[in-house]
Amino acid sequence: MRTLADRLAEMRAQRGGLVPPRHAPAAGNRAEGLARWFAARLQVAPDGAAVVVERRVALPPSTVASLADLAPACYFDTETTGLSTGAGTVVFLAGLGHLDGDQLVVRQLLLPDYPHEAALLRLAAGELAAMPRVVTYNGRGFDLPLLITRLTVHRLFREMASLPEVHDDLLPVARRLYRRPLGGARLADVEFGVLGVIRNSDCPGSEVPSRYFGYLRGGSPDLLTDVLDHNLQDIVSLALLEAEIVRMRAGGWRDAPVLDRHGMAVELLRHGASEEALQVAEAAMLPGVDQDRAHSLRRMAARLLLGAGQVERAEELWTAATRRASTDAAAAWLEVARIRERHRGDLRGALEAAATASRVLDLAFALGRGGGILELGRIRLRVEARLRRLRRWVAAAERRTARAQRVA
Amino acid sequence: MLTDRPTTATDAIEALLADSALQPLVAAHRVLEPRPPRHAPWPDGLDPRLMDALRSRGVEALYTHQAQALEAIRARRNVCVVTPTASGKTLCYNLPVLDAVARDPAARALYLFPTKALAADQLVELRALAEAAELDLKTHTYDGDTPPNVRSVVRAAGQVVITNPDMLHAAILPHHTKWFKLFENLQFVVIDELHTYRGLFGSHVANVIRRLRRITNHYGADPIFICASATIANPRDLAERILEAPVELVDDNGAPSGRRHILVINPPVANEQLGIRGSALLTGQRVAERLISGGVQTIAFAKSRTSVEVLTTYLRETFAPPPGHPHTIRGYRGGYLPNERKEIERGLRDGRVRGVVATNALELGIDIGGLDAAISIGYPGTIASTWQQMGRAGRRTSTSLSALICSSAPIDQFLAAHPEYLFDTSPEHGLINPDNLHVLLNHLRASSFELPVPAAERFGIDETPSLLDVLEEDGYLRRADDDRYYWSHENFPASSFSLRSGAPENVVIVDTTGDRNRVLGEVDLFAAPLLVHEKAIYIHEGVQYHVDRLDWDERKAFVTRTDVDYYTDADLGITLKVLEVFEEADRLPAGLRQRGEVMVAWKVTMFKKIKYHTHENVGWGSIAIPEQEMHTTACWLVLPAEVVNRYDRDTLDGALIGLSRVARTTGSLLLMCDPRDLGVLAQVQAPFTGRPTLYLYDAVPGGVGLTERLFTLTDQLIRACREAVDSCPCTDGCPACVGPAIEVGPRGKATVSELLAALS
Repeated sequence: MRTLADRLAEMRAQRGGLVPPRHAPAAGNRAEGLARWFAARLQVAPDGAAVVVERRVALPPSTVASLADLAPACYFDTETTGLSTGAGTVVFLAGLGHLDGDQLVVRQLLLPDYPHEAALLRLAAGELAAMPRVVTYNGRGFDLPLLITRLTVHRLFREMASLPEVHDDLLPVARRLYRRPLGGARLADVEFGVLGVIRNSDCPGSEVPSRYFGYLRGGSPDLLTDVLDHNLQDIVSLALLEAEIVRMRAGGWRDAPVLDRHGMAVELLRHGASEEALQVAEAAMLPGVDQDRAHSLRRMAARLLLGAGQVERAEELWTAATRRASTDAAAAWLEVARIRERHRGDLRGALEAAATASRVLDLAFALGRGGGILELGRIRLRVEARLRRLRRWVAAAERRTARAQRVA
Repeated sequence: MLTDRPTTATDAIEALLADSALQPLVAAHRVLEPRPPRHAPWPDGLDPRLMDALRSRGVEALYTHQAQALEAIRARRNVCVVTPTASGKTLCYNLPVLDAVARDPAARALYLFPTKALAADQLVELRALAEAAELDLKTHTYDGDTPPNVRSVVRAAGQVVITNPDMLHAAILPHHTKWFKLFENLQFVVIDELHTYRGLFGSHVANVIRRLRRITNHYGADPIFICASATIANPRDLAERILEAPVELVDDNGAPSGRRHILVINPPVANEQLGIRGSALLTGQRVAERLISGGVQTIAFAKSRTSVEVLTTYLRETFAPPPGHPHTIRGYRGGYLPNERKEIERGLRDGRVRGVVATNALELGIDIGGLDAAISIGYPGTIASTWQQMGRAGRRTSTSLSALICSSAPIDQFLAAHPEYLFDTSPEHGLINPDNLHVLLNHLRASSFELPVPAAERFGIDETPSLLDVLEEDGYLRRADDDRYYWSHENFPASSFSLRSGAPENVVIVDTTGDRNRVLGEVDLFAAPLLVHEKAIYIHEGVQYHVDRLDWDERKAFVTRTDVDYYTDADLGITLKVLEVFEEADRLPAGLRQRGEVMVAWKVTMFKKIKYHTHENVGWGSIAIPEQEMHTTACWLVLPAEVVNRYDRDTLDGALIGLSRVARTTGSLLLMCDPRDLGVLAQVQAPFTGRPTLYLYDAVPGGVGLTERLFTLTDQLIRACREAVDSCPCTDGCPACVGPAIEVGPRGKATVSELLAALS
């Protein structure tokens, strides 16, 4: 009878390539060795130890100035053993930065081996809890859920509850401001295109897990040198990016060479700066902006103007877009109709605008301009619906007037 | 007598049974006598709101089996409930679960169903009961159909989470931290339709349960498992293998039933020589018409979607409603929209629908209540599904009828000749092999991702440390200094395999003739290289199709209609290599019998074009389908030299084909498995034994224990084969025994009979 070991051996042989297991040296040595390699402190707790690499990076004065008015923050980024947020992905490096004068103090907590994880997690949670705010890049989708997963695995619920309530994830902001002009909004895109950061001896993110596995399986700690540098740069870039975003909101958008104006207007609106948003939107509606974007900007600007009671300016904004017979012009006439009906109470004027929209649409169709058949159909339906409704209302209003006159 | 409701249905059934036209076709007729209900008092301390809700729905007392289940669950014993359809099985778990939630809103339960449709059904039923009891129950299904915004709510607040083993495997366990509220407070795990977790799928599910236990242990919960199963031979054994814990069997059904007639009907012989019988579909149609016209609410099961549609059309013609009235005959099969299905189910319950024609989509516990008659057209493949289908007929008081109408297929004819296999042998054994190495290694990987594995821990088998070492060598795990193995790989292991991947996949046949592609049918993966290789002529309902392209990876064959005067015949080459002999028994003079591990490889290399009528070979072509292979377990019989020396090579060749055919049919009946799960191969000169050998193997990688069991039943197998061959009325072989003479040779049947005698 064949033993299980034989069968396993056969399976291995079939798969080909037999990798002999490499057993790592003992734990104490490992943690100390790692700390020595990076000339770092070893923080020892009852349930494990973490290597704490502390570095200080001087920030440009403009960056320090921009960040001065914000609530103190922890700039947070992790390196992990995989990209899934499932229960088996481990945070092996937690980078945490905070501002100290004109310097960014970055503490990197490095995991000597899996059994030390609880200690590292408690340290990281402690650092985060010391600040009212945490700033990340895609932390909402990845770093924080993963940290919470790890805390749950170790049942560290008190630490979980102490995490800061305010979390500013810069990824969605960067997407709004830079994705279009840069063709992407990975942190590396923004660093290169906006922050002027150039990474030299860096290791690509995709290589990070295998570097750590290599170290764990007995490789040199030097495998991690690039990973630590990579993480450090991520955290410095976080601070630089947040400062840049603050500068943009404070009017920097006027002379920014790389910026999506439409996204900037949205960003300002989200921040409650509607007057500024309107300025961005109006400034952005230059000739040459592609039609979709212009329409969307105009809609935003008009909404802002109407909100501020500036009905006339809003209507002008739309009439300015009706010069050339196209589906967009028809859509603009439709907006004019809507403004006249809702904001001016001018039903006749609205009917006139809607009828114009209908004529413009016929003309656009005849000239073969603008949009596919589907888009034409869609807007045709909207135009006809509004036209019908307005006709009905105008007729009703006229009947009422006539009746009133008879009574009089 | 219990016939307090003397229905016309009862009279109509009696009239049909007395009909002299039916008599000659009846191969068997059994009567199950009526049974009165047996009740048990309400258990103490049941939440009064629940009792009121049940009373308002007409439940005045529990049946004995329900009370027994409840008592066992309260005593914290795992149970497996095995009672027929419509006996109040679901209450056996819904009652304790709702009672627990009523007492403690933090309590949680996890329900597992094999399909999304069953989960959706259960959600409706559970909610209805909770609402009637005025309980604010938070429950939802969690599967591919669950909207994203609902998912996070279910994770955090769902008191009863209804899902399937696949979701548990791929989405819940690997993300257990997001579900910690569920796992921390998990009191019940309900596994309904337990009998579906057989074979490879069951082996996977048993490992998913191993993983589930590691998680609940981690969060400090110790749930009770409540299983429910259709009738199989070994429900408790299967439950205990899946749960790896003691299970109390609850099978003493307290629900009442009326008299039941069970018939096996064999259509008349149409072609004596070829052993072909009249159409089962048409015979089924005639029986159904008799019943429905007598007011008997009837369900007919057909094997394919097409036959469902055909029979539905025929019956609708017979029972056309007056203009403006809805049809009283409905079809019901996969592919109907959920609303349509719900409406049909409602119509069946309230009696507006008088007849329904279904595929086995209705076989799994969809709630339609009991009907008056159930007709299975063609053997559904396993005895358990036959009883499942037959179980659709059964009233609490009046008489009901179930009939199996046999087709010309060998196994159907075998059952017609030997109905005792249907009645007297216990139904199939649910066999699983959770320790199948391939399965086990995959789940051990997935489980170590979920939680690190201490070196001393056992995952299923004692040799866990060796497996962990293998996974470490392969670079998936790493043993750290705390003597635990940690997942050390970038991949997400649960997404790298599926619980059902080993299940035979089908190749879909797509007809591209018209302007729109339509699916013509399916063939299973083993038959696909033979039937739908490129340039094959595929015949479907008498129409010829040319196979233009076979996309093997996508499992699709593209065909166009054609009209040619030839058919194609592909050569399938199966090779089998014995890797290891586990066990043997030398029964001189009956020959050597062995069992062990084998590698089976099959490849189709070429095909011939054969002209109709003349059978000339008019061309050939090569086939480029990659060789398929698998490791599995097998048992084999070696024919004694002095027996085989009597025959020339051709005779022996034909006889071995016949022998393997009859062995597969009877073997699958003895094992109570689907014939497709049992592979057979006969070699005149087997490389391993050097002699004529008949191999029987598990047609699933790694094996699920079929041939292991068959090895112990070899004597019975040979006896059953002899009976099948010797008692078959045909002269030279027919589909019911060894196969037609054209395939096994003119002396085929006689030779098989002699070989079997020698083996006995």
